[in-house]
Amino acid sequence: MNSNNTHITDVLIIGAGLAGERVAIEVANHGLKSIILSLIPPRRSHSTAAQGGMQAALGNCAMGQGDSPDIHFQDTVKGSDWGCDQEVARLFCDTAPSAVRQMSHWGVPWNRVVAGKKRLSTGQVVNDDPEYDGLISARDFGGTAKWRTCFTADGTGHTLQYTMDSLVIKLGITMHDRMEAVRLIHDGDHCMGAIVRCLRTGELHTYLAKSTVLATGGYGRLYGASTNAIINEGSGMSLALETGIVPLGNMEAVQFHPTGMVPVWILITEGARGDGGYLLDKNRHRFMPDYEPGKKELASRDVVARRMMQHIRQGYGVDSAYGQHLWLDIRHLGEKHINTNLREIANICRSFAGIDPAKDLIPVRPTQHYSMGGVRTNIDGAAYGLKGLFACGEAACWDLHGFNRLGGNSLAETIVAGLIIGKKIAEYTSGAAQKYTYQIIKDHHANIDQKIKDLISGKDGQENVYALRDQMEQNLMEYVGIFRTAAELQKAVDNLKDIYYRSLKIGLRSDGSGANPELSFALRFPGMVRLALCIAYGALERTESRGSHYREDYPRRDDQNWLNRTLAYWPAGADLPELKYEPVKITEIQPDDRGYGEASVRS
Amino acid sequence: MKLQHLLTKDSKTEFYYEVLELIAGLFLVVFLTLHILFVSTIILGPDVFDALAQGMDAYHLGTIFKSLVIVAFFAHFIVAGRRIPTRVREQGIVWRHAKLLRHPNTWAWVFQVITGMAILVLGAIHIWVVFTNSPTGAMGSAMRVQAGYLWFYIALIPLSFYHAGVGLYRQFVKWGWFPRKPVGYIIIVITLTIIAIGSVALWAFMQLEVS
Amino acid sequence: MSNRTLTFNIFRFDPYRPEVAPYMQSFSVEELDGMTVFVALNKIRETEDTAIKFDFVCRASICGSCAMLINGRPQLACKTLTRNLPKKITLMPLPVFKLIGDLSVDTGAWFRHLSLKTKSWIHTDKAFDPQVLEERMDNQTALDIYEAERCIECGCCIASCATANIMEDFWGAAGINRVARFMIDPRDGRSGKEYFEVIGSEQGAFGCMGLMACDDLCPMELPLQMQLAFVRRKMLGLGFKV
Repeated sequence: MNSNNTHITDVLIIGAGLAGERVAIEVANHGLKSIILSLIPPRRSHSTAAQGGMQAALGNCAMGQGDSPDIHFQDTVKGSDWGCDQEVARLFCDTAPSAVRQMSHWGVPWNRVVAGKKRLSTGQVVNDDPEYDGLISARDFGGTAKWRTCFTADGTGHTLQYTMDSLVIKLGITMHDRMEAVRLIHDGDHCMGAIVRCLRTGELHTYLAKSTVLATGGYGRLYGASTNAIINEGSGMSLALETGIVPLGNMEAVQFHPTGMVPVWILITEGARGDGGYLLDKNRHRFMPDYEPGKKELASRDVVARRMMQHIRQGYGVDSAYGQHLWLDIRHLGEKHINTNLREIANICRSFAGIDPAKDLIPVRPTQHYSMGGVRTNIDGAAYGLKGLFACGEAACWDLHGFNRLGGNSLAETIVAGLIIGKKIAEYTSGAAQKYTYQIIKDHHANIDQKIKDLISGKDGQENVYALRDQMEQNLMEYVGIFRTAAELQKAVDNLKDIYYRSLKIGLRSDGSGANPELSFALRFPGMVRLALCIAYGALERTESRGSHYREDYPRRDDQNWLNRTLAYWPAGADLPELKYEPVKITEIQPDDRGYGEASVRS
Repeated sequence: MKLQHLLTKDSKTEFYYEVLELIAGLFLVVFLTLHILFVSTIILGPDVFDALAQGMDAYHLGTIFKSLVIVAFFAHFIVAGRRIPTRVREQGIVWRHAKLLRHPNTWAWVFQVITGMAILVLGAIHIWVVFTNSPTGAMGSAMRVQAGYLWFYIALIPLSFYHAGVGLYRQFVKWGWFPRKPVGYIIIVITLTIIAIGSVALWAFMQLEVS
Repeated sequence: MSNRTLTFNIFRFDPYRPEVAPYMQSFSVEELDGMTVFVALNKIRETEDTAIKFDFVCRASICGSCAMLINGRPQLACKTLTRNLPKKITLMPLPVFKLIGDLSVDTGAWFRHLSLKTKSWIHTDKAFDPQVLEERMDNQTALDIYEAERCIECGCCIASCATANIMEDFWGAAGINRVARFMIDPRDGRSGKEYFEVIGSEQGAFGCMGLMACDDLCPMELPLQMQLAFVRRKMLGLGFKV
């Protein structure tokens, strides 16, 4: 252990995406010091990939007139299939409008209302009132009653992240990029910081803080086909789970985005359907109105994804070398619209598939996209089980999304939660003291040091980490996908258990010196398998269908037995998570029909 | 900021350099074009050439132009030359960079630097020779060309107009007055035309019977 | 399509082991349909040499991590299809930026420094009031700001710039474009004089020699020539005034 590599601060923030940076700004505004750790330069965070937009009930544009946080709240709760924490959803919806305006104040070039009549792609003519001219506009997104998704052309996440980071730079917040947290330092009661490996040199560092915040994003890369960036491996969730004390919430709630492009699985934003795109089958038939006459292509994501798979199963899929898929058609939106408002889509189609969406159909299939589950926290963002540990954004199960997240609510969550939780962290930190002993730090440090030595020496075995990863991906893809059954889930759990044991016997192919990428991955991998087991085992035990969790053997929502949240713990030495359940907080709307999707049982 | 940077910092130095570079460069391009067109009147016959030369001398235009050109020529050398990589290391980097990148405009600039160096020498000789042989006349010029300066001009004309063409193009690009692709094509056509006219003029000088 | 066997010649160097001189190492990869350099590099790492360093994040040309010299030209490796390349492919890290190892360079630190030097944030005296409606803005202005803000800081323009290659503190197209983004933003309260101090210098607008490799090679197809010229003309006007 090298004392030169020890950093002490008030708040340690792990992850420099939108949520992490928003927390840092809030904490700085309260006069506290913080250090942000990031695997990569912050402006490369996966937050930038959110093209579509951020929901906030401003009600400025013609199709958003009459919108309010109440309606946003209803949409969110319905979208979650009553799985969300309604107190959190209420707080979120009430705060979102001012959070959007604040981002505008800081520099985001939101698209604005242009007064006057215009014809929508549906043929409907709307009139934007001059009274709202120049205010922040919004576009249509799935699962919403009003046009509520604020956007900047095709790069909302990008402009939000760049603006947020500009503020981080302005405020002089310390940023350590290319740093990976590999273990939380704690004594079973308090979290004291983290052991961190430098991805430039491979050296281990110790970060000590009064509060530690996990803002590491989702776990999309556990699945073979995911729209997520390759760094989204659920590392923050792994760190929390590894403590044995902090539970993960609702890990079985995995969102599949309806339109991942085949075969590179890059996301085609929901904006494509929001702006009027159609889904077609092999006969070029627009099939969504057959299933969902009301919301058509714009039902919530879980519903559209399932309808697509259902349609493919009925034999209407298009054959290709990469399996069956369907078509996304945006040709009728016109070249001008495609090349400005949907330019990113046009670029992606051209670069990665060699097609022009103004002339050609886009091959799409539902693809893993978002993790509703994560580190379970209370409404203040404080993780269960350890004092001084917080989580925020996709890494957390705050629980705004329940069993299905609405498009535009994740980007909004990062910023709104960052603001709210940042404030709570500042309050907590101001009243907290640095709390650590040399022995505890030394023990955690030695643990990682030993792991690294064992991986390099191959003392525990010679398993190939990349081969194991392929098997894990395959199991999740095949058995823990959109449609789930007890038999398949059981198979997944059994196989993943085996993979987990083998992941403890990984040996490196290379010498592991310096910032060796194989070593980085090998250190991370057992934690990833633990997450995969939480997903598969949680899904096996939950014998109902809710939101994105769809059991073919239990196709109905069961509010009598399952109106609750899964909490997954990983006791030391276990090979399966220990599942507990807690009730869902219902304050305003009792469980009811969603108005779209397969009808649910009312309890 | 370091001491020497701070003490030598004048926020407007670069601005003045840029303005001077633009003016001197444009002046030299205009001058060079007029110059070659005037000289090319030899194609129409020595009488036209001499009449023009005498006409200009009558109003001292030649002298005015000549002194302006000398000033502009060296001002341009100093101002534009400040961008030339001078250290061996820098030259090595630029050369390697251009070879890796295979980018036409970058190569165009590399050759512009090389032609600039050549013009500095050849142009200075040319100016010296012309000044010491005042006043200008068709016969005198023809004698010079036929006495062996032909090869000198065969080198100087394309070098100068290549240098001028690329320079003009880059000024248009930098100030963005017009879209760059069409500007590039137009300048290539004009440059080639002028080099052709210049070559015909050289041929005309060679055909002249020197008494 | 008949699948080819591709040969990748890859630059290898570890700055923490300066005693080992940089060298080119070659790897053979069977080409697949729709293969990108991203796919090929991961294949090489997973099957041939697990120690090789390179950077990818979004693998969808959004994040700007993976710029490298592909056959000499700066490009995003994630969106470079091998079918558009010859059988022999040379990969080198971007020049100008600090080497981290093999194909990985520190573009992040470079761009962070740029943001600091050009003070790339909205300068305003107004405090945010959550109770008040946002300030109105013309939609076209918002789109124009976005057009400049689309830059993903991949570093291709810097790597392809001859000036940036020999002049260490030149901000290049990305830097000048960044300043343009704030100049057209009505929310930014900086005066012309302040902007002139920031960018009316050899490190900024006047350092550009107009070689336009940035404009030709920008993976985001930003209108860099016009942005550079816009700032230069603005500085011309300001230079006479201030």
